[in-house]
Amino acid sequence: MSQAVMTDAKSAASRRRRRPRSYWALRIGLGLLAFYVAVALISFVWTPYDPLTPGVGDGYDAPSWAFPLGTDRLGADMLSRLMVGARYDLGIAFAAVSIALTVGTFIGVLSGYHGGALDTVVMRGVEIFQAFPGLLFAMLVVQAVGAGIVNVILVLSFVGIPDYLRLARAEIQAKKTWQYAEAARMTGNLPWRVAFRHLLPNSVGPLLAFTSINAAFSALVTASLGFLGLGLGPNVPEWGNMIARGQDGVMTGQWWVSFFPGLAILGLTGGLYLLGDALADLTDPRRRR
Amino acid sequence: MSDALLVIEDYSGGFQSETGELMSVLHGVSYRLKTGVMTAVVGESGSGKSLVALSILGIQPPAFERSAGRMLFRGVDLFGLDDKAMRRVRGAEISMVFQDARAALNPVFTVGRQLADVWQLQHGGSRRAAMTQAIEALGRVSIPEPDRRARQYPHEFSGGMAQRAMIAMASLICRPSLLILDEPTTGLDVTIQSDIMELIVELSHTRGLTTCLITHDLGVVAEICQEVVVMNAGRVVETGSAEAIFTRPSDGYTQRLLSASQLVEAA
Amino acid sequence: MPPLGKMILRRLLWVFPVAFGVVTMTFFMARVLNGDPTELYAPPEATDALRAEIRARLGLADPLPIQFINYLWALLHFDFGISFTTGQSVASDLWDRLPATLELGFVGLGLGIAFGIPLGVLAAVHRERWPDFLVRGTTLSGMALPQFWVGLVLISIFFVDLRWLPGPVGRLPIGIALPPKVTGFLLVDTLLAGKPDLWWLALKQIALPALTLGFSSAAPIARVTRSAMAEAMQSDYIRTAIAMGHSRRVVWFRYSLRNALLPVVTLIGGVAGHIFAGAVLLESIFAWPGLGQYALQAIERSDFAALQGFVIYASLLYVLAFLLVDLLYMFIDPRIRT
Repeated sequence: MSQAVMTDAKSAASRRRRRPRSYWALRIGLGLLAFYVAVALISFVWTPYDPLTPGVGDGYDAPSWAFPLGTDRLGADMLSRLMVGARYDLGIAFAAVSIALTVGTFIGVLSGYHGGALDTVVMRGVEIFQAFPGLLFAMLVVQAVGAGIVNVILVLSFVGIPDYLRLARAEIQAKKTWQYAEAARMTGNLPWRVAFRHLLPNSVGPLLAFTSINAAFSALVTASLGFLGLGLGPNVPEWGNMIARGQDGVMTGQWWVSFFPGLAILGLTGGLYLLGDALADLTDPRRRR
Repeated sequence: MSDALLVIEDYSGGFQSETGELMSVLHGVSYRLKTGVMTAVVGESGSGKSLVALSILGIQPPAFERSAGRMLFRGVDLFGLDDKAMRRVRGAEISMVFQDARAALNPVFTVGRQLADVWQLQHGGSRRAAMTQAIEALGRVSIPEPDRRARQYPHEFSGGMAQRAMIAMASLICRPSLLILDEPTTGLDVTIQSDIMELIVELSHTRGLTTCLITHDLGVVAEICQEVVVMNAGRVVETGSAEAIFTRPSDGYTQRLLSASQLVEAA
Repeated sequence: MPPLGKMILRRLLWVFPVAFGVVTMTFFMARVLNGDPTELYAPPEATDALRAEIRARLGLADPLPIQFINYLWALLHFDFGISFTTGQSVASDLWDRLPATLELGFVGLGLGIAFGIPLGVLAAVHRERWPDFLVRGTTLSGMALPQFWVGLVLISIFFVDLRWLPGPVGRLPIGIALPPKVTGFLLVDTLLAGKPDLWWLALKQIALPALTLGFSSAAPIARVTRSAMAEAMQSDYIRTAIAMGHSRRVVWFRYSLRNALLPVVTLIGGVAGHIFAGAVLLESIFAWPGLGQYALQAIERSDFAALQGFVIYASLLYVLAFLLVDLLYMFIDPRIRT
């Protein structure tokens, strides 16, 4: 390096251009998320073709002006199917994450605040549970209890709970001895109140960041389950399922049936990861301000 | 009157705020470090004294931007040097002792190894010779059983002992002309503090070092420093000989600082 | 016993309660979820008496606690029962298929580490400049994309389009006989059998799945390496090293990298656990005869015993992986030792 060691003050303009990376990550992440939500919502009202009725095309039409993303083996329009698929991958991920967040945080706060026997039991249980490969667990349960959106959502939430639990618990434990907690206790607040109304709001940041990443993971698991044909039923245009059904096509050169759903997943999961990263940066208590 | 080894001239700068403007934290800081003399830079937290010291070696926080000023070491502006040239200055001409010694040492390498690495860097030679020097240096700063200690890790050292090792690294392993100490005894027990200060004074004299002691402990300053620079909120408010500052402080802030530490002699 | 020895022993002993918990959980899960497998074994016209006999044979007639004891006893003898699909003991099934998964795992993980760490270092050294953005973008895709999709894309490009690599038919092309089994690793056994052309075939078959695995695992490894190094660079001890005059190269590669090793090792342990527990979907796409495929078949055919055996294997593998990581940690981080 041959630059001068000391950074000279730049002009205000050049300073503005040098944004922290979380700035862009946040906006791109949110933008992508908004885009997907919009697409999912629009799909309820309009799609270019009927996604569930085959035969609008001849079957395995390559991408063209009529069918921007091609058609699948049965001639159904890929674009329409992708749009409808957004409902599933997004919806399931959000629902699962919401449940996992609520339940996991609740138990985690209790466990972290009370400590003692309750905490030990909970933590041992969590460790044993987490020794199970998550995807495998989901596969097993879904296979056993049968297909259906609700089942998938419940299983995914279950898999996600331990992480929220740990996170919330760690946050509470770290803050349990802080002075404002003491103050709250001294003013006569019940322990539960102290934990939930005073301690938890300050831990929102890391929890939120994790939520985004957890959502990405849930979407991937949903796609994996769909790929295996587990969980939602064979004709549902969920993206993972679509990739599986396009497998034969890949071998014979009709790559688009499996390709575009993957891109769709990439956009959603990538956006969620970016968002999670940005939120983690922004809420990091060690930021040098 | 001795020459000034280091002259800080009108040093100003700050950090970028959220809106993109420069928030100034240093305003025209100027002072001199006279050769062979121990100068104290005093001020409360946030006065900018550490920031200036870090800037001398070019290790200030990367977010800090200079808006003006020069740092003349033997007449050469350090701010104009490129990275390679600066590296030659660090350790060899100017070195530094930091506040929290245990955090300032790498936790996954032994103390002896870290000292030996610096020796090899500054003076070359074999690894074994460097290690011998490291052990010798540890002994020189009154660390008992230096050969055993050299094989230990920083977390196994007490705060005071780690600071001694740090001092050994900065003044014995390195052979600088200027030694900067940034709050070297803050956080240590009081008895240890005086031991460390004694060590610093002794080494300074033996090696004829120009020393810059950054501290907010005026008691220490009164005892051992010849020159004093007083800083407040990013500005130098007063400079002068220790005697002058303590007996005839001319600035209001200096006076308040002195009275707060109850060092003012009865008029 | 020296304190380090005690720490290691304590960590090892802790495996047992967790393993016990896993095994117990599997027991209950298998029974709760899969209900009554009697139907699978009984012919449609079976009488109730026949059914009762089958149930007794399967050990399901006993009260639950007895079943549990029998189950534990069998496990201690590595008896996982008989697989419904293959008719063989699950233990031997698992043992047969293990090398395929391990070989793919080693090569894939090896690629992941070989690419991931250097990329992470590159990104850290050139923070906020274009190499960093490139690495971050690529690793983001690596983590955001489902592995099975990446596999399909690679197949599409390298097999269907370019014809550089063979199709996804398994560990060797169809019709080619396996070499005599010494280690079970084809890349080793082929050489031991003195058949370099066979080795080449095996290599070409493993290339795509290993690359897919490598891509997915390199991503998190690169990210953690990058962030760990960046964090180390902001530490006080690195500041000291710079203050003493060390060159940037020494500071980065001798010091920061070593400090960053800790979180990276933890991550690799987790990734390895995932990989060796059987990349279910990956093996499915590449027709790889490993444990993942076994698990998938077991699920699809409700093969009770096989599933149970697999789940125990996978979970215990995770436990093992984290145990190794913890032990490794004790060697890497001197602070833990005291």
